[in-house]
Amino acid sequence: MSNSGSIVSLQNVGLRYGKGREVLCDVNLELKRGSMQFLTGPSGAGKTSLLRLLFLAKRPTRGLISMFGRDIATLPRKGLPELRQKIGVVFQDFRLLDHLTVFENVALPLRVAGQKPADYRENVIELLGWVGLSEYADSYPPVLSGGEKQRAAIARAVITQPELLLADEPTGNVDPALALRLMRLFKELNKFGTTIVIATHDTNLIKGATSPVLVLNDGQLGFEG
Amino acid sequence: MSDKSKIKSSHKGVATNSLMPRTQMPLRTLMISMTVMCYLACLAIGALLLITRAVDDWTSEIAGEVTVQVRPTGDVAMKDKLVKAAALLKATKGITRVDVLDKSAGEKLLEPWLGNAEVLNQLPVPRLIAVGIDQVNPPDFEKLAKQLSLTVKGASLDTHRRWQSELTRMGSSLVWLGIGVLALITLSAVALVVFASRSALDVNREVVEVLHFVGASDQYIARQVQWQFLKAGLQSGLIGTLAGLVTFFLLGISSSVTSSNGLAEASYSLLIGAPEVTIASYLLFLLVPILTTLICLIAARLAILRILRNAI
Repeated sequence: MSNSGSIVSLQNVGLRYGKGREVLCDVNLELKRGSMQFLTGPSGAGKTSLLRLLFLAKRPTRGLISMFGRDIATLPRKGLPELRQKIGVVFQDFRLLDHLTVFENVALPLRVAGQKPADYRENVIELLGWVGLSEYADSYPPVLSGGEKQRAAIARAVITQPELLLADEPTGNVDPALALRLMRLFKELNKFGTTIVIATHDTNLIKGATSPVLVLNDGQLGFEG
Repeated sequence: MSDKSKIKSSHKGVATNSLMPRTQMPLRTLMISMTVMCYLACLAIGALLLITRAVDDWTSEIAGEVTVQVRPTGDVAMKDKLVKAAALLKATKGITRVDVLDKSAGEKLLEPWLGNAEVLNQLPVPRLIAVGIDQVNPPDFEKLAKQLSLTVKGASLDTHRRWQSELTRMGSSLVWLGIGVLALITLSAVALVVFASRSALDVNREVVEVLHFVGASDQYIARQVQWQFLKAGLQSGLIGTLAGLVTFFLLGISSSVTSSNGLAEASYSLLIGAPEVTIASYLLFLLVPILTTLICLIAARLAILRILRNAI
């Protein structure tokens, strides 16, 4: 059952891979539309697994998940792309496509959504400028540094101004100055209504949190602050 | 130079690369195998055409002629019997030609079994009458056979129908065999495409995952892959068919280089002969690249959609 103000609702959600132990146990979570939450916890606590549920890479083994008012358990496969287009994801390992240029990587969600290059070109160029990658627009990911890849991945995740942005360690490979700049970008997006979940170990980032921090410990979700 | 102008001055800055990297597709192996399949399909089609035409020629030759055999009986002179039989045949409707063959024609037929002419001279060798038949309005063979046996003692009619039906049966068996070979080639081609599609998705698993995460549907991803398979299918179809045509062409012209033989002449007429024959041949050969392209497109799409159904 989803709350009308929440964009994501998890009730008693459990997740296991194959026949292994549950990596998430009885997770209950409501993400209010327009909220910005940090998700933290020790390595192996299940942060990435929780994010995988939220970006619809996995379905829970038990419990209920409702996203954008749709019950994920009963959602047919053909309904997934529509929901995924509302979600932006920054992967810890970037997941940039090496055979596409940085421009093409950032424009990928728009291209997949059927937009014409002429329609999105300016937006992509502007965003690349914002994340400091203008000069690499025609470069391919293998020639980028870790931080540059991170920024390209963030640009790809936010280019569609998604309703929900999920970021797994988005500032893990960038210097503190750029980390702050990226956080400003997230906050700007958040102001325009994007719900944001940032999984991070970075205590400096968490310090500025205005809403309770989600803490995962051994698959159990708690709140701090 | 501003950031924007840097990009504008570059030739890119718009999405130009294929979403599925072509270099990582197992298309080269597929193309080689499909080219061989198409070549074999062309040979099978060519063989089918040659067999069908040969059987048609043989059966129409047989159907256009019957033979009357007049055995010597002793009581009536052979000459009289032949005159009587020829007269009866000439008077029969549906008969276009009556040729009384000389004695040596019958002896020639028996020579391989009975040896030289001296032996044959001592034997009562039957005489033969070759009878041309109007194939549109043939005579009533049963009635003619009866009339012959009644009018001319020792005369019998051989319509060659048994040989004709044997030939037709052999021809149709060979045609079915050819169709079976073509079906097996098609089946193998489908299996190859399915296997290659699976490999293509395996190799590009990460690309597929990212496309899914940014909201691509299974159909969208399948489209990205299937066009590459379509191109591969078209190329292999054209190369394989061209190789097949060259083979028949070389077979055809070999008759003018070496001594003339039936297969060479038939191959020649298949491609360079009368228009009514060559047009049909070329149309059938043209089906090979078209079907190959369709097989690649449809089999790849269905296989990819099936595999993606089990993806994330």
